[in-house]
Parts: sequence; C-alpha cells; structure tokens
Amino acid sequence: MKLKKTLGKTRWISSFFFLVALFLIIGMVNSSFLTGESIISVLNNSVVYMLLAVGIAFVILTGEIDVSIGATMGLAAAISGTMAQQGQGWGVMIIYALILGISVGLFNGIGVAVLGIPSLIFTLGTCGILRGIVYLYSGGRTVENFAGDFTAFNNDTVFSGITWYFAIAFVIVIAVHFILTYTKRGKYFIAVGDNINGAILVGLPAKWTKILSYIICGCFAAFSGIIFASKYGQVNIVAGTGYEMSAIAACVIGGISLTGGLGDVIGAMIGAVIMSSITKILVFLGLSSDYNNTITGVLLITIVVIDALTQRRAVETSRRKRLAARTSPDASAQPMAEEVAQ
Amino acid sequence: MKNSFLEKLGSGFKTWEFALFMILVAEFVIFGAINPKFLNLASLFSSINNYISICIISLFVTFVMITGGIDIQASSIVGLTSIIIGVTWNDLGFNIWVSVLLAIVVAAICGAISGYFVAYCGVQPMVVTLGGSFLYSGIALLISTLSSTPAYMGISGFPAKTAEGLYTSFRFLGKWKLFDVIPIQFLIYIALVVICYILLHKSKYGRKVFLVGINRNTAELSGINSRLITMSTYVLTGIGAAIAGVLLTATVDSAKSDLGATFTLSIITAVVLGGTLSTGGKGSIIGTALASLVICIMRFGLPICFGISTQNLDLPIGVMLVAIIAGRAIVNRIKLSPGGRLHRKLPAQKTQ
Repeated sequence: MKLKKTLGKTRWISSFFFLVALFLIIGMVNSSFLTGESIISVLNNSVVYMLLAVGIAFVILTGEIDVSIGATMGLAAAISGTMAQQGQGWGVMIIYALILGISVGLFNGIGVAVLGIPSLIFTLGTCGILRGIVYLYSGGRTVENFAGDFTAFNNDTVFSGITWYFAIAFVIVIAVHFILTYTKRGKYFIAVGDNINGAILVGLPAKWTKILSYIICGCFAAFSGIIFASKYGQVNIVAGTGYEMSAIAACVIGGISLTGGLGDVIGAMIGAVIMSSITKILVFLGLSSDYNNTITGVLLITIVVIDALTQRRAVETSRRKRLAARTSPDASAQPMAEEVAQ
Repeated sequence: MKNSFLEKLGSGFKTWEFALFMILVAEFVIFGAINPKFLNLASLFSSINNYISICIISLFVTFVMITGGIDIQASSIVGLTSIIIGVTWNDLGFNIWVSVLLAIVVAAICGAISGYFVAYCGVQPMVVTLGGSFLYSGIALLISTLSSTPAYMGISGFPAKTAEGLYTSFRFLGKWKLFDVIPIQFLIYIALVVICYILLHKSKYGRKVFLVGINRNTAELSGINSRLITMSTYVLTGIGAAIAGVLLTATVDSAKSDLGATFTLSIITAVVLGGTLSTGGKGSIIGTALASLVICIMRFGLPICFGISTQNLDLPIGVMLVAIIAGRAIVNRIKLSPGGRLHRKLPAQKTQ
C-alpha cells in the first residue's frame, strides 16, 4: 500500500515505465533495437535536450515558462565555437557560459518576478534580443572548423560507449534531483509554483526563487550550447531554434505540469530521452524521419490528455468522498469548519 | 455636451490603441525623413504582403488570448493548408477552389481538435497547441511526401494569367491590385479586421468571449456555454491561419509544408503588443491590428533606412517588445503604488 502511494506521488516513475514500455514495444517489432549499443546511442544523443529540459524544469516548476533557452543555447554555442577556433580551454568556455547563463537568467528573472510581466511574453522578447546578438556576434556567418580536441571529446567515452557528456549530465541531474527533493531551499521551487501566495505568506523569498530558477535555466541552456557546438561541429545563426519547444515537450512528457508545482527533474530527463529517441525509433520501425513531428505531437497530446483526465477524475472522487462524509449521519457529530464559523 | 466630448477625447488619447497609433505615425515620420523611398506606396504595400499572414493570424489569436488561452499551433496550420492545396490540386487534380475550401475545412477541424482538448478535457492550452504544432506540421510533411514534387521544391505553377495577361483564378489572390497600387491581400486584411472587430466588440459572441476570459465560472453560471465558446476561438484561429495560408500560397506561387513555420513568435508579439492580456479578459482587435502593422512597418523600414540586415530584425523587435512591456509594467506599478493615482482616489471614496 505504501509502495503504491509513493509510486503515485513520484511522477517520474510513470514516465519511466512509459519509456521502458516504449522500448519494449519497439524491441518486439525490431529486436535489434534492444541491444546495449543502440540504447546507449539513444542516451548519448539526448544530452543536449536533457540539459535544456532539466533547466527549464526549474522555471516550469515555479509556474513560469522560458522560451528564450533555444536562443541562449545558440549564443552559447556560437561563443564556445569561436573559442574552440582560437584554441581556448574548457575552463574559459565554462566561465563564459556561466556568465551568459547568469546574465540572461537575471534579465528574465527581473522582468518576470520583479516587474510582474507574463513570462511567456517577456522571454519571447529576450529570445528576439538573443537571436539578434547571435547574429551580431557571428556576423551572420556559420561558426565552424573547430579545433579537433573540442569535437573529438564528443566521442570520448567513460565506459562501454557512454560518453563523458552523458555521464556528467546524468550525475548533475541526479544531484539536482536530490537538492530539489531533500533540501529546504530546493523545496522552495515547488512551493512557489504550487501556491505562490501561500509561499509568500509563510515567508519564502518567492521573487528570489523565481529569479534563481531563471538563472539555473539560463546556465543549463548555456552548457547545452557548449555540448551542441562540440557535437555538431558547426553553429549557424539559427542554431537552437525550436529547441525551447522540444524542451517544454520533454518536460510535459516527463510528467511536469505547466501550471507549476508538480513534477521533478528526473521526469524531465526521461522526457528528453523519449523525445530524442523518437528519431532512432523511426529508423528501427523502418519509417522515414518525416514521421518525427507527427509522432511527437500525437505522443504529447495523448499524454497530457490522459494526465488531465485522470487528474480530473481524482479531484471529482475526492470531492464526492468529502460530500459523502459530510452528508452521512455519523459525520454530524463533528461540525464542519464553516458551521463553526457561523 | 462639449465637455463630455472633450473628456471622451482625452480618455481616448490615454488608451493603448492611441499610443500604438502614435508609434505607427512616428515610424512613418522617422523612416520617411531618413529615406524618402520608404514612402513609395508600391514598395510599402509589397512589404506588407510579406507580413500579412502574421497580421491576419494575430487578429484571430486575439480571440483565443482573451479567453485566457494561447495558440502556438496556428503557424503550423499555415503550412498544412498550403500543402493540402498543392497536393489536392496538383496530384489529385481537384478544382483549385475545391482545394482551397478543403484546406480551410481541414484547418477548422485542426483548430476544433485542439480546442476540444483545451475546453472539454481541461488540458493547458499551451501544451495542447504545442502538441498541435508538432502534429500538424508533421502531417503537413507527410502529405508533402504524397506529392510527386520533392518536398523542398514546393508545388508551383498554379493557374495564373489568361492570354491577355490578366490575373485570374487562384493567383488573383496573390497578384491582383486595386488601382494597380493596393494589393488584394491588404483589402482582405482590412475586411477581416472589420469582421473581427464586429465579432469581438459588437456582437453577443464577443461579449461571451470576454466574459469567459474574465471569469469562467461566472460565465458558466450565467448560462454561457463557456466550453463551446473556448473551443470556437480555436476553430476561428484555425480558419484565420488557413486564410493566411491560402494568401501566402497564392502570393509566392508555391505550396510548401513549412510555409509560415517561423511565425509563432511574431504572432504572439503582435497580440501582446496590441494590449491583450495573456491572462485573458482584456484585449482589442484594433490594438492587435495596429501592433501588427507597427511590427510590419518596422521590419520593412529598418533595413531600408538604417541598413540593418533583414536577418537581424529580431533584435530591434525584441528590444521594442521588452521595452514596451516593461515600461507599461513600471507605469502600472507607479499608478498602484501609495501616492499614485489609483491610491489617491480610493481612500477619498472610503472616507465619504
């Protein structure tokens, strides 16, 4: 019973089961999919989406949205690409990515949390500004011809085919998950997203939490930009366009509610794996990549509709239970709160 | 009598629509002063043609946003209608107008599907339309593979000129000009503005849309079928996107599945800049129309007058969006703060 309860509460488990079921079904159709090699390649390919999704998960958990992450990623990719051309080291790249992520996050956070502008609109504006900066920075040219080490690192493996990027990202996500669920400050994010007025009343720094969530989101997006540049070996001025939508979709598939306060970062990670596995799955099903968007759309709509319907049923059942308890004769011994107030 | 008229005029000057109008005028003055070529009507209208789809769709998205929803799938429906017209006409041999009608019906159904999930299943509008944007652009891509023409080329060669060199049939929608100056797309746009204005601000349906946006429960209790109203706004957006898709196909003479794929952000920018609250309950067609024109003129004027590359127009428009929205938020805050206008009024009423 207790196990069932925790399973119901931990939303990422259902998306994990979904991922396993998806892989098993594809494996039944084409057994060569269920080899370690292809599954590991799915995981390795999901790193960029994973970092983006985990970053935006913070923002979504606090009940906001950030559509500027694709542009942040594009800018970070262009900057790190240029540095790789000049033969700069990892440390400098990471510092620049951090500076970029923090400044974008601070800008977004101030606009949304302090000025109270709807987040979709403000980050839309940020997205436009960042896209313009990418253009100014790269002069409209594609950044390419990186130093060999930079792109080669994408293929360096830790053990049995798992790349360093995936390993590092995975460790970071697990660490972030524990910070979110087991520390006091981590729980602020979910508290603010669940009920912002309540959070303010009990004395949580709601504005700072939101600003912090945007900063974390910006940093994750900037880091994913470095990996993007290393992975694809070239960065054009529209790099990262549409990635924000895929990241949001990954979060939704991973069980994070866009109204805030519901979900966890492991869900976002699993959602990102599902999103990036679709391309691979199509190959194994023998379908062309033209089906990619259709399947993503169907998957997304199906999942959210089922989620909304089950949630509504849960709300109605609990309401009916309360009503039954109220109207039944045994319950009258204990007066309801409203009756006492009258 | 005169006083009340002046007061009305004065309050009219303070509205957001008037501010947008002044921005539009200022754009004309500045761009015109720097480069007189800007004021050449023919080139001005041809530039508007490039952005007319954004203007049209943003009109209809205003309805959705007033009910408190959001629609990011409209731009994918543009591509879908375009490719449906192309494939049914080119490969299935339909009459072009039957294809157009079919495309509009399909777009309305697409809107209705998303609207159904939003209104009747209670899923967040952003997620549903995000899924819809993947789904419909995916379907458009699949339909394009049915065609004998490779997807990247686009289906072209739509019925165009008669022997006398007059534009007839389908291309009429793309090339015909009133007095050889005003393009038909602009006329259609003006007609749509009028229709939307009447629908939103002068009809019963419009009042219901506003009520649903202000307070859904109250609307439901006062006998409005709020779910149906919510769903209908998405159908309207679908139809609007289809009209934009038809016009765009006729203008560029090419049916492609990815037409309009980059419109989403511009559409939402236009609606929001027009003063529509993204939380619902407030907004106006005139505001959206003016805001979308402001963006169009800026996109046209900046490259001509300041030599800014057309690829880099996101920056000034992003800056404009952030500056205007932040400015409005700050002004509102000053008004609401102690000593601000609203606060000075309220205690005075209480003491009486």
